[in-house]
Amino acid sequence: MRSVWAVAMLLVSLSLLGPLLAPYDPTAIGLANRLSGPSGDNLLGTDALGRDILSRLLHGARWSLGLAFVISVLGLIIGTLAGVLAAQGGKVVDWSVMRVTDTFLAFPELIAAVVIAGVLGAGTGSLVFALTVTGWMRYARVARGIGLSLQTRGYVVQARLAGVSMASIAWWHYLPSLLPSLVVVWTGMFARAILGISALGFLGFGVQPPTPEWGTMLLDARIHMRSTPLQMIWPGLTVVFCVLAINLAGDTLRDALAQEEKQL
Amino acid sequence: MRPPKLADPTMLSVDAISVKRGQATTLNNVSFTLGAGKTLAVVGESGAGKSTLIAAILGLVKCASGHVAWAGSPVSQCRPTLVMQEPRSAFNPRLPLEHAIREPLKAKKIALDTARLKSLCERLDIAPDLLARRPSEISIGQAQRMGILRALIAAPPLVLFDEPLSALDAVTQKRTAQMIADLQSQQQFAALIVTHDLGYAAAFADHIAVLRAGQIEEYAPAESFIEAPQTAYGHALRDAAFALGALERAA
Amino acid sequence: MIRVMLGLGARAAVVLAGTAFATFALLWHAPGDPALAIALARFDAQVPPEVVEQIRAQAGLNAGFWSAFQAWIGPLLTGDFGRSSVTGREIWPDLVTAASYTFPLALAGLAIGLALSIPLAIIATRRPGGWLDRGAVALASLGAAIPTYWLGLLLILLFAVQLGWLPAMGARTPVHIVLPALTLGLGVAASLTRILRSGILEARSQAFLPAFRRRGVTPNDIERAHVAPHAAVPVVTVIGLELAFLLEGAVILEVIFARPGLGTFLVNAISTRDFPAVQAVVIVAAVIFVCVNLLIDLIYRVLDPRIGEHDA
Repeated sequence: MRSVWAVAMLLVSLSLLGPLLAPYDPTAIGLANRLSGPSGDNLLGTDALGRDILSRLLHGARWSLGLAFVISVLGLIIGTLAGVLAAQGGKVVDWSVMRVTDTFLAFPELIAAVVIAGVLGAGTGSLVFALTVTGWMRYARVARGIGLSLQTRGYVVQARLAGVSMASIAWWHYLPSLLPSLVVVWTGMFARAILGISALGFLGFGVQPPTPEWGTMLLDARIHMRSTPLQMIWPGLTVVFCVLAINLAGDTLRDALAQEEKQL
Repeated sequence: MRPPKLADPTMLSVDAISVKRGQATTLNNVSFTLGAGKTLAVVGESGAGKSTLIAAILGLVKCASGHVAWAGSPVSQCRPTLVMQEPRSAFNPRLPLEHAIREPLKAKKIALDTARLKSLCERLDIAPDLLARRPSEISIGQAQRMGILRALIAAPPLVLFDEPLSALDAVTQKRTAQMIADLQSQQQFAALIVTHDLGYAAAFADHIAVLRAGQIEEYAPAESFIEAPQTAYGHALRDAAFALGALERAA
Repeated sequence: MIRVMLGLGARAAVVLAGTAFATFALLWHAPGDPALAIALARFDAQVPPEVVEQIRAQAGLNAGFWSAFQAWIGPLLTGDFGRSSVTGREIWPDLVTAASYTFPLALAGLAIGLALSIPLAIIATRRPGGWLDRGAVALASLGAAIPTYWLGLLLILLFAVQLGWLPAMGARTPVHIVLPALTLGLGVAASLTRILRSGILEARSQAFLPAFRRRGVTPNDIERAHVAPHAAVPVVTVIGLELAFLLEGAVILEVIFARPGLGTFLVNAISTRDFPAVQAVVIVAAVIFVCVNLLIDLIYRVLDPRIGEHDA
C-alpha cells in the first residue's frame, strides 16, 4: 500500500507543482535555438519553435494528468449512478440501463471518442466530453453486478422493509461495498484516460496548441523524427511512466482490497 | 379490494394467496388470520414454502392471486418487521449496529425514544455499549437479540420470525424464545413464527399451521394439535418430533 | 440454445439501433453549418450563398431531424450507404476498399500477438515466480502502458529511419504491412500474455489434476487434455476484448503509417465534415464489432456451458 501512496503523491505533486518547477515559459518561442539537443540550458532540448521541452512536459502534466483525473472521476460518478439505478430499479429499469451500456460498449471506445471529439470540433471541452461519454460503462457494469448481489443481503432487505428510501439505501449500504472495486476500476480508467487524451491530441482532435499536452507534443515532434528523434522520445516516455505507475498501483490496491474483503 | 372478513380491525388476514416460481407453484391457496397479541407458528419440513410465505406476506415476492392485508389495508402500510434466520447477515458488516437500530425510525421520521430503547435493551439483555460495535464483534446470540431489538424499536403491530432460533445453541434458544414471548405479552404485537421445531411451536404459539408442499395441511390451536392431530401428516410430524425429543432426552 | 441465440440476436439489434441513432443525433447537433462545410470542402474557395443553399437542399439538411433520420436509415437498412457529401462518390465501394486494407492489418496484428504470447506464456508458467516468469510479466505490464502510436513511431525510427530495413509509409507493397502489424501485434501480445499466463496457472491449480498425476497420467498429457481447454476459455474472451484494441490500433496506425484503410477514411471524413461517410464507417465498425462479439459469446457458451445461465 505504501507504493500506492507514493504513486498518488508523485502524480499529484507533478500536476500541481510541475509548472512551478519548469525552468522556462512553455510557450516562449526562441527561433534562434530550434531543435537543439539536450544541453545545460535546455536539459531535454528544444522543439521546432525553440521552446524548452522539459518546461513543456512539466506544464503538460497539468493538462494530461489533470484532465485524465477529471474525465475518470466524471465517468466514475455517471457509471456508479447508472449501475446502482440498474441494480435497484427493478427489471425494466435494469434492462433499459444495461442496453444503453451495451450500446456504448458496442463500439471501440477510442474510435467513438475520435468521432465525437472530431465532430464537435477540436478543443478541450469536446475532448473531456468525448472521453467521459465513452468511459463510464465499466463502472456501471461493476456497480450493477455488485449491486444485484447486495439486493438479497439481509441488511438490504431489512432496510427496504423498514421503508428506507432508495437513495439512502444506495448511500449507506451500496456505496461502501461498491467503492473498493470501483476505485480499482478507476485506476484502470485513469490510465486509459491518459492514453486517450494523448491519442486524441496526437490525432489533432484534443487539446490545441500552443497548450503543452503530451500527445500534442508527440504530434509536433513526429515531423522532425529524422533530425531530432530524442524530441519524440520524451513525451512518450512520460506517458509510459505515468500509465505504468498507475497500473501497478492499481494492481497493488486490488490485491490489498481482496485481502481486506476476505477478512470481513 | 375486498373488505376484511372479520370485525376485529387489528388483524393480519392472508386471503387465498398463491405464489408461482417459474412453472412450479410454491404456495397454493393459503389462507389464515392472525390477531394482535397472538402467535401463529407455521411448521413444516424444508421446501414446504415457509420462507416463501414470509416473503409473500412482506411483499418481497409477488402473489399470483389472493391478497394479504392488515386491518383492511395493504400490509406494507403497517410496516411489519422481520427477524431473520441468520442473525449477523441482517446487519451491514461495515456499519455499527446502532445504524441498523435507527434505520426504521429514520425512515418513519420519528425521533429515537431513548426510554423505549433502554427498556428493550434491558429486557433483551443487551449492554448499551454493544450498539457501537460491528456485527462481527458480537456473538450470534447477541446478534439475534439485536435483530429482535431492531424489529421492535419502531413498535410495529406485526412481527415475522423466520426460524429465529435455528442459528443458536440449545441454551441460548430457550432464553431467546422466552424473551420473545415476554416481549410479546408486554407489547401485544401479532407474531408469525416460521419454524421446523414443533416443540418450540407447541410451547409458545396460540395456533399451529402445518404447511406441506405449499398448502396448509392443518390449522389448529396449539394444544389440540399436540394432543390429537387431525391429519395423517400432522400425526407423522408430531410423532417424529416427540421421538426426536425422547432421543434427545435419552442422550 | 435457439432461445439463447434469439435473445442474443435481439440484444445485438437493439445495440445497433442505439448506435445508429446516437451517431445520427451527434452529427445532427454538431456545431457549424454542414452545408457550408461541404461547400468549402468541395470547392476550396469562396462559395456564393446560392450554392450553399443548393447543397443544403441536395443533402436533405432542410428537413427536420426525424425525416432526415428516416431518409438516412431507410436506405441504410437495404444496404445503401448513400453518397459522400464532399466527393459525391458512392460510399460503399470506397468503404470496401478501405476495409480491404484494414482487415489484413488487424488479422496480421492478431496473428503476431498470438504467435508471441502463447510461447511466452508457456515458457513463463514452466516455473511460476521464476525469473523468466517475472520477466514476462514485467514485459507485459510495460507493453500495456505504451501508447500504440508511440510504439509505432519508435519502430519507424528504429527499422525505417535508423536501420533502413523496412518501408514505413504507405501500402504500395505487401512488405509495407510489416511495421504496422508488428506494432499492433506487440500491443496484443502484452495483454494476451498476462491473461494466458493466469489462465494456465488457474487451470493447473484445478483440484482434479493431482488425482490424474497419482494415477500415472504424464504431465504432458495433462497439459494437453486438461490445462489447454481451461486456458482457452479466457483466450476466447480476450480475443473479443482485443478486437476493440485491434480496431482502435488500426485507426491510429493507419494515420501514422499513412496507410489507406478504415482509420484514414474516418479521420479524413471527420476533417472534411463528410458526415454521410462518418456515419457509414461508424455503422460498419459497429456491425463488425457486434457480430464478432456475438460469435465469441456463442463459442464461449459452447466451451463452458455454465456461462450465461445467470445473465438473462
